Amino acid sequence: MVEDDLTAALTALRAVGRRSSVARGLQADVEQRLLQSIVDATASLFDAEASSIALFEPDPDRLEFRVAAGAHGAGAVGMQVKPTEGIAGFVFSSGQALALTDVASDPRFDLEAAQRTGYIPRSIAAVPLLDDEGSVGVLQVLDKRGSPSFSLRDMELLAVFASQATTAITATRIQRDTARLLQEVLRQVGDGTMTDAQVDALVSEATRGLDDHPETPFWQLVDHVAALRGLGERDLTLVAGILEVVARHAERARRRA
Amino acid sequence: MSGLDLPAWSEPFTDVPSLARRMRLRGISREWAWGGSTGAGVRVGIIDSGLERDHPRLAGRVVQSVAVELVDGEPQVVPDEGGDLYGHATACGGIIVGLAPDVELISIRVLGADLRGKGTAFAAGLEWALDQGINVLNLSLSSKSDALFPVFHDLVDRAYFRGVALVSAANNVPAPSYPSLFASVFSVAAHDEPDPMRLYYNPAPPVEFGAWGVDVPMAWKDGGSIVATGNSFAAPHVAGMVALIMAKHPGLAPFELKAILAAIADNPRRTSHARPAKSAQGPEAPSAPPAGLQ
Repeated sequence: MVEDDLTAALTALRAVGRRSSVARGLQADVEQRLLQSIVDATASLFDAEASSIALFEPDPDRLEFRVAAGAHGAGAVGMQVKPTEGIAGFVFSSGQALALTDVASDPRFDLEAAQRTGYIPRSIAAVPLLDDEGSVGVLQVLDKRGSPSFSLRDMELLAVFASQATTAITATRIQRDTARLLQEVLRQVGDGTMTDAQVDALVSEATRGLDDHPETPFWQLVDHVAALRGLGERDLTLVAGILEVVARHAERARRRA
Repeated sequence: MSGLDLPAWSEPFTDVPSLARRMRLRGISREWAWGGSTGAGVRVGIIDSGLERDHPRLAGRVVQSVAVELVDGEPQVVPDEGGDLYGHATACGGIIVGLAPDVELISIRVLGADLRGKGTAFAAGLEWALDQGINVLNLSLSSKSDALFPVFHDLVDRAYFRGVALVSAANNVPAPSYPSLFASVFSVAAHDEPDPMRLYYNPAPPVEFGAWGVDVPMAWKDGGSIVATGNSFAAPHVAGMVALIMAKHPGLAPFELKAILAAIADNPRRTSHARPAKSAQGPEAPSAPPAGLQ
């Protein structure tokens, strides 16, 4: 019984580890490339001067422009704004889409910030990136070349792109959360005596030769681990049981080391 | 992905002929519904970013301002002097006063510097508003939080039983958001015909009403005005209409108000002979029938 549990737990750990270690290497890059492809497509489809995605980052709370496209987009990348200010801040904090036809007449319009990007827009359409918990960022499009304003169809289309961006972000963040969780768990089960290097070694050991076919039932378990906060009593008990077995293994691994 | 089959944004209102209806309540006209009404005596709450009290477009109609603040995560309703941090609430208020110049406006700020529009603040603001003798609440914001689903459900039911009309802007993504998708609220998306009194009823809910929401001139922060687009600005048009009806016919229940709106909506009439083509609207689109026709 204990051996069965151990086998199951180790396989789960391997899956988690595999996903985590792969995620650690690729996550930032993949997320960046996915988001870039979305703003590229948005700028091209709308024939817009610029398109950008800003994501919420905590400590300190801010919206950070990660990617941009279009002839006048590049200047926005890396810019940070308060998550409660401006058009992006409003859309982020209210979760409601907004399109302005004459940005300059918005008394809130931050001319200085626009000048920093090297482009002063006439019109803006912005939609929130919404996951199950709320806003994670904002997708913006500046100035359609063919029209002074944005139509309902534009807003609908933009919402579809926003939903793609959110999916990309959610996927990579689940991986990031999983990695963080795994690190924490291993540190705890190691009774605080494992170094980061040992934790990494354990993860590498667990991931060696792993079959990461996406259909394996353990992927589901991995998602459970990543979503611990949302679990009910029963699932928590299950996960706790598995982690206990993982803990015993980690302890043995530590003694062998 | 259960939400993907829901109409997103304003899809239903981009094809007006498809909104044609064969049946319609008889004997209800716009003249009967709100002829001569200015909204006097009706209290309209706006749960949003806080009204800018002295904005010219609000014409001094703001009678009370409160804000929901989170103290250790617990929402508390406090007096608010903060004005409008964005302009969004003031925009909504201006649209309502534009339609119903004599309403009283109550500002309930739940979006702000350190709130990030937390659903709990929104829910607390809504709960507070239900005890203030408010007749119409404009909700140009929504929450996607599953955890708050039962909370909003309870509050929306409470509003319904108290006769408070909740006018809620539909979100723009094809996924559930609350309270705009609850059955008893007046769920509103945008159409692009530049007429503040142009109203469509969508017989295929959850979004039931379409009002002007594209390139709408409106009040904004610091006494300013802008032209903006969003379902957020369609909802206050309906809130204004509801206020007009309530002022003239006090005591109507939300379901009666909805029935009146559906009866006076500009949907084309569907005849039994010609089913309208599913084409883009154009000059050949049938015009609105005189009220009272079936």
